[in-house]
Amino acid sequence: MSKKITINPITRLEGHGKIEIFLDDEGKVEDAFWQVVELRGFERFCLGRPAEEMTRIAPNICGVCPSAHHMAATKALDALYGVEPTPTATLIRQLEYNAFVIEDHYIHFFFLAAPDFVLGPDAHPAVRNILGLIDKVGKETGLKVIEVRKRNRDIIRHIFGKAPHPEGGLPGGVPRRITEDDRKWIKETADFTVEFARYALLLFKEIVLGNEKYLELIQNEAYRLKTSYMALVDENRKVTFYDGKVKVIDPEGGEYALFDPQDYIEHIGEWVEPWTYVKMPFLRNIGWKGLSAGEGTSLYRVGPLARLNVSDGMATPLAQKEYEEMFEILGGKPAHNTLAMHWARLICALQAAEHNQMIASDPFLTSKDIRNMDLRLRREGVGCVEAPRGTLFHHYKTDRNGILTMVNLIVATQHNAAPICLSIKEAAREFVKGSDVKEGLLNRVEMAFRAYDPCLACATHALPGDLPLSIRIRDKKGDLIRTIERPGTAI
Amino acid sequence: MDAFDPKVVCFSCDFGWGFVSGHEALSPLVENWIPVTCSSKVDSVFILEAFEKGADGVLILGCPEGRCHFEDGNFRTEKKVYLLQKVLETYGIERERLRMVLSNNPEGERIPELVGEMKQALIKLGPIEKR
Amino acid sequence: MAEKPRIALCWLASCAGCDEAVVDLNEALLDVAEGVEIGLWPVATDFKYNHLESMADQELALGVLHGAVRNSEQEEIAKLMRAKSKVILAFGSCACFGGTAGLANFRTREDIMNWVYLDSPTVVNPDATLPRTESLVNGKSLTLPEFYDHVYALDQVITIDYYLPGCPPPPDLILNGINAVISGDLPPRGSSLAPRTALCDTCPRNRTKPERLEIKAVKRIHEIEADPEVCFLAQGVICLGFATRTGCGETCIRVNTPCRGCFGPVPGVLDSGARTLSALSCLVKAGEYGDPRRLMESIDDPAGYVYRFSQPTSILGRKRRVENV
Repeated sequence: MSKKITINPITRLEGHGKIEIFLDDEGKVEDAFWQVVELRGFERFCLGRPAEEMTRIAPNICGVCPSAHHMAATKALDALYGVEPTPTATLIRQLEYNAFVIEDHYIHFFFLAAPDFVLGPDAHPAVRNILGLIDKVGKETGLKVIEVRKRNRDIIRHIFGKAPHPEGGLPGGVPRRITEDDRKWIKETADFTVEFARYALLLFKEIVLGNEKYLELIQNEAYRLKTSYMALVDENRKVTFYDGKVKVIDPEGGEYALFDPQDYIEHIGEWVEPWTYVKMPFLRNIGWKGLSAGEGTSLYRVGPLARLNVSDGMATPLAQKEYEEMFEILGGKPAHNTLAMHWARLICALQAAEHNQMIASDPFLTSKDIRNMDLRLRREGVGCVEAPRGTLFHHYKTDRNGILTMVNLIVATQHNAAPICLSIKEAAREFVKGSDVKEGLLNRVEMAFRAYDPCLACATHALPGDLPLSIRIRDKKGDLIRTIERPGTAI
Repeated sequence: MDAFDPKVVCFSCDFGWGFVSGHEALSPLVENWIPVTCSSKVDSVFILEAFEKGADGVLILGCPEGRCHFEDGNFRTEKKVYLLQKVLETYGIERERLRMVLSNNPEGERIPELVGEMKQALIKLGPIEKR
Repeated sequence: MAEKPRIALCWLASCAGCDEAVVDLNEALLDVAEGVEIGLWPVATDFKYNHLESMADQELALGVLHGAVRNSEQEEIAKLMRAKSKVILAFGSCACFGGTAGLANFRTREDIMNWVYLDSPTVVNPDATLPRTESLVNGKSLTLPEFYDHVYALDQVITIDYYLPGCPPPPDLILNGINAVISGDLPPRGSSLAPRTALCDTCPRNRTKPERLEIKAVKRIHEIEADPEVCFLAQGVICLGFATRTGCGETCIRVNTPCRGCFGPVPGVLDSGARTLSALSCLVKAGEYGDPRRLMESIDDPAGYVYRFSQPTSILGRKRRVENV
């Protein structure tokens, strides 16, 4: 039964990412591949540029998470110049970075993830989006979402000029100080955001956990993947976004490694496959074991769920309560349920919001001491942050004038590239049987993918950045029997 | 086998180079010769366009330091050339392909000689690798 | 009753920052949505490329394209949008001049491939595998698109009616631009929908710019604690405000960070980098302050500064994808 059903006879349009699903003779899914079809080469075209220009150039890797690249670059410059930022500079950086994590996580949740849950995975694509969501939950909620995004992006703009594309981080500091007048509206934003963050979690529990079908979906085996996990942790082994050590746990939850970001090369390898432009990181010391999860796997995942799995808890009180509740419902740590990433994402946003409340009250926030000028060029440095999507590494080498001679980047969505392939395969196996697949079932496959909040611009240090996607289903002979085109969602 | 015959574009300042012999006498002796009223009139745009249009090398002849008719024109040329040499390198064009000589030669017989010398140097370098 | 004009927004080799910029219009976006029919915009609607194809030529009042052109698919989308739109707006620095993506033109494709897949310190690739346009995995055939060895600005691939520069364009210019197209109150075709003067003219620091700028030593931004009120050039820091069109609101200057030229050149200038180099060579004072060579050598990477956003439109960098465009 190789009926050729083509929805879009546009085979020339590969999209910026495509999913190929292969069926066997019985119409069951045999294999699935997520292919990234772009490559740009940031690591090469930055060579010859002065290192400090990276806080101007690196944000352009991605218009959705430019602050992540900006901060990783800023911290790589700290390491490159062997300099510790002043306490005030650190506070200012964290303030901006938390604001970014907040607005980025909410953009993903409300624009991309929530429509699946609020309107249902089978809802018509024409309504299964932010506008349909606002229709369903009400304009007031919709306006709150827009408001929380705007106000936190205003913090980004105030500190680093623009959103998207914050610029200007410096080794050992930040370019401009914050005044007492600024503190007032920053504090208001922080308070507003904490309230919103709690509301978002209430909404999630009501709409998602309160619905048996969705709870079932979250715990469905099709969406479960046993991998290791990687994230940054602070000195108390709690979740952190701005700074920390890299911790990796195995699929059973035991500590596998804890290392300084500058030693990342010893632990992370990148594997190359001919069918995708993205390289796939794995745990180097275990060795590449192919696209497989479970016991003995060398694959690991990053992102909000990884952060909660890997750490001993959240660093702020309200978020900590939510963390405890989540693991209780999911049945312990580590949680391998891919869809729980959405939940963890909201908890991370809450921590960032609480932290900004604290920063907004910190007396050192408005000090003039924003630059540590004791710069001593070491000619090599690694900067590491938790980007919203996961751990991000920027590694630079320079000549003795501080001109870049090497740039190596490992970005969040890369770490997840192989697990994404596996998640798609598992979901496809569950929901795709034969070529006659309803759109809603295909959407359930996409949901596996969407939970990772993948950022294609980052995955290939590439431009374009977003997610036009096409899903193709092929029979045993490789003939195309079904195509779904998703020009994608820009954010 | 076609021998590589490098194309050199030569800009020269009328106040210092060849003003005794005059344009008419000198132009049959120099291919791609652009005499100008001061070497600083050679804008970066012209130098880059020369390479874009197929020049293998660009030679700029200006006046000695302290002897510019317009006071600091030759200084500006110098600075411009040093900057442009770096820019050319970024485009994969060797900096030896942009040369400046600050001197004077009223008869102008050195103009074709310097162009010839540059051609020799360019033969060794080879044609520009088109990126 | 008149039908609402239809507009479409499409990306090419874009980082998605320009989409975020449109979302940043916030409530104003909803107002815009009242007056137009947003026919195609991935964030808000679920569109397919065949919707575009099935439209009549020039059915769209406005086609907005952002991102540079890097592969054949992007070229096709650009051409499709051109055919279906009365007005094409090149949105953002990448569409207007090539953008950051254009810096890749300073390297070769081989160099990029070799580093990414073979030489990077984290790569583990015992068989020296490289991505291929066609490969077999367990008997299954998988394909990847080929792309060009060169990054193109949009007007090197299709004709453009208007340009809106910026990385990204700021909300007020976006709104003005969209409203201008809808109302028909537009400048001559080929114009930028941005002010015509240089950033220096509107910079909050320009009163501290001396009558005659003489930079005696060039400083990189991290080497000094830049005074937040004084002209960067007067402090010896390279700032491209003098060579860059204004309209951004000086967002970088206001956080004490020098201009890097994302708004591109002022009207009448095609290769802004070349002009900037000439200007820089005048602003830097040599002579008794040190010999010219040493001073100019101290400016690391002039090409990176002046062509940061515009390599594909530079004299030495430009190529046309299609003749007579």
